Amino acid sequence: MSVSVVIARQFDRATVIAFACVIVLLLIGAMVEPAFLSPKYLIQQLHTASFLGVVASGVMLVILLGHIDLSIPWTICVGGMMATGATGFLGPEWGITLAVPFGVLCGALIGLVNGLGVAYLRAPAMIFTLGMNAVAQGLMVYHTGGFAPQDRATEFMRELAVGHLIPGIPNPLLIWIILGAAIIFMLNRSVLGRRIYAVGNQERSVFLSGVDTRKVILACFVFSGACAAMTGVLLAGWANRSYQAMGDPYLLPTIAAIVLGGTNVLGGRGKYVGTIAGVILITILQSMLSVVQPQRYFAQLGVDIPADTFRQVVFGVVIIGMLLIYGRQQLVR
Amino acid sequence: MSERKSPYLLSMSGITKSYGGVRALEDVSFETHRGSIHALLGENGAGKSTLIKVLSGVVQPDSGKIEIEGNIVNFANPQEANDLGVSCIFQELSLLPDLTVADNIGITRPPRNKFGLIDYRAQRQIAEEALARVGGENIDPMETVSNLSLSRRQMVEIAKALARNPKILIMDEATSALTAADVEKVYAMLHRLRDEGMSIIYISHRMPEIAELADTCTVYRNGRKVETFKNGTKSDSAVVEMMIGREYSSVYPAKSTRPDVSEPILKVENFSWNDELNDINLEMRPGEIVGLGGLDGQGQKQLQLGLFGTLIGSTGGVEVNGAPVKLNSPKMAKSDDIGIALVPEDRKYEGLMLSMTVRENLSFAAVEKMSRLGVVDTAAEEMAIDEMVELLKIKADGIDGPVGALSGGNQQKVVIGKWLMTKPRIILLNDPTRGIDVGTKQEIYHLLQKLAAEGCAILLYSTDYDELIGCCDRVLVMYDGRIVRTLAGDDLNETNLVSAALNLPEQAVIQPELKKKQGMSL
Repeated sequence: MSVSVVIARQFDRATVIAFACVIVLLLIGAMVEPAFLSPKYLIQQLHTASFLGVVASGVMLVILLGHIDLSIPWTICVGGMMATGATGFLGPEWGITLAVPFGVLCGALIGLVNGLGVAYLRAPAMIFTLGMNAVAQGLMVYHTGGFAPQDRATEFMRELAVGHLIPGIPNPLLIWIILGAAIIFMLNRSVLGRRIYAVGNQERSVFLSGVDTRKVILACFVFSGACAAMTGVLLAGWANRSYQAMGDPYLLPTIAAIVLGGTNVLGGRGKYVGTIAGVILITILQSMLSVVQPQRYFAQLGVDIPADTFRQVVFGVVIIGMLLIYGRQQLVR
Repeated sequence: MSERKSPYLLSMSGITKSYGGVRALEDVSFETHRGSIHALLGENGAGKSTLIKVLSGVVQPDSGKIEIEGNIVNFANPQEANDLGVSCIFQELSLLPDLTVADNIGITRPPRNKFGLIDYRAQRQIAEEALARVGGENIDPMETVSNLSLSRRQMVEIAKALARNPKILIMDEATSALTAADVEKVYAMLHRLRDEGMSIIYISHRMPEIAELADTCTVYRNGRKVETFKNGTKSDSAVVEMMIGREYSSVYPAKSTRPDVSEPILKVENFSWNDELNDINLEMRPGEIVGLGGLDGQGQKQLQLGLFGTLIGSTGGVEVNGAPVKLNSPKMAKSDDIGIALVPEDRKYEGLMLSMTVRENLSFAAVEKMSRLGVVDTAAEEMAIDEMVELLKIKADGIDGPVGALSGGNQQKVVIGKWLMTKPRIILLNDPTRGIDVGTKQEIYHLLQKLAAEGCAILLYSTDYDELIGCCDRVLVMYDGRIVRTLAGDDLNETNLVSAALNLPEQAVIQPELKKKQGMSL
């Protein structure tokens, strides 16, 4: 197998369409505002996209298994709030040094509970992870209500979210690139990657091939929780503080990005490159809706719609529309 | 619409169909009369299934025409074919497991009451009538399908097709899982339907079934029609030669002479599980092929699953190579010290990941051995896979294509290959030749003898008595979760197998019809 074949195989139909949509969106935007094609804007978009990219990385693996992780909104929040509040648990010194790993670890713990519930107790992932989302929410409300914790981001978190280790490339983007490269390698070349696809395809066959499928499921949920928490850490650094419900705007975009990227919601099929395309597509779409402000055109027609509401509606409609156009399952005969 | 009266109920001509670059059918014709049973013969991949799919509206041909009662028809989908009286029972069971028998039978056109809701009483009645027609009176229409055995499910499937009152009934391997008793009923029903004027198109790999049922036979090979002839005018071996396109020797290879090892590699003592397995004792030596016989569903499947470590709460002792082992997962069963492999009953849902590649499926069970620190060594993997593809003669245009695109026989080879790659010493096979063509069956028989000669111990469960006689050194017959008799040497014959399967006392007289049933199967 030549290298070009391997690379070509990463780009399935959905991925190509998603990338094409990105380009079309940018061109449309450029007609309204030429700055859309400037390198500065594009890097800024990739910077924003990497927050979504990191959380989508974990959820994608869970979806490849044929499960789903709906606990991400509050797992993100746990990641952010535990990192900023680490001093409250670990003391002023360790709390600052270990803020980031502590936040990620807390997210991984939520993932661990999800994984134990789904893999070992055989609970349906949809309801179990949704329940964990509520549990995490309750714990965070208790955490902020009880003893006024530290909600400021540490200097390191701030650097992680807005700094540039390599000139021109924001750190979150660098993190996403490294994480993405690792996942692509894992999915294509490792035993675990094979097993993830296989479980999503036919779990019975995998079990009867002498593989402990529960461990595979557990690992993916833990990873998903850790990724969501990492996004929370980055967001807290970006905003310089953590706050309640900071992960709420991420649930729909995460799942939409993965599905638009061609991953089968029922598991077993999907390429990480597709998820990258989906994440960039969703990010650009959100950005354009806020910059172009299409509601202005309706205002000229005499229809007055508040900007925020309108953006939500258009965002939802566009996602549904794109899914109808190319995200549906192929008819199998 | 033509006025001339066609002599045929159905006539297809010039049918061509390609999938991608592969020609599945090339200029194929087919005719059949009212009131006849017409058998289609051919290896897997010969084009029979595609022809049937064209006729039942599942796929559209690239060219060619179909006439029913002299009228040219075009089916855009199976519903249209149904409406014109073509009803099809496919190889893969199409019942919805969580619905009741009556729901399944009535699914396409349920009777409605005056509120437009389903009239359950009427539906139940329709189901009862349909079941009675196929001789399945003892199936409860209110039973959930998943609680029925495979044989009973096929009966329901046939009843469902008949409930639509077709003119043309197509049966694609629809009897492969029937037990002897059910086969008898289905035969009687098919003869009756033929006498009532129905045209039945019958696909089966079991030669005796065809000899008993068909009026006319047509042989296909590589997407082309070879010949149509009246049943009984050709010998079995002549027909098989037509199918495989080469000379045909004996079906079963000579049993291999095995290394003389007295120590058993596997010893099972008082193995029990719930009520389904009771005090199973067995010993297997390296190089032995041991058969599991008996009627369907007497615990054979459970015994194999139990030895593979999947039954929670099983009791009794298992020794491998003289050392007691506690088998509690397939992972443990396949480990190097134990070396057990299981080729499961249902290759599509228990053996393969259908949309993954042949390559990924083949190396799946042994992939740990071909990797370092969790990263697959693709060069080593490639070599092992090539070796296996060669050994098993797996016909796959691209082994990088999905395994689901292969024919049934080749899929089964992939499942077997997957396990051979783990280098097992004890191989459990659950009916590995079900629904597989003649040529591949023979290849599998040769492979089993070869493995035995190399020192593997093989435990083969088969619903085909002839296969047990042809392959095994001895056969353990199971009844109600127990091993009721062991047959070997001259005692290993059909009469004894059937009587033991019914748990009749030894040397009991067997009714002749029952014997005929379990005839030679190729």
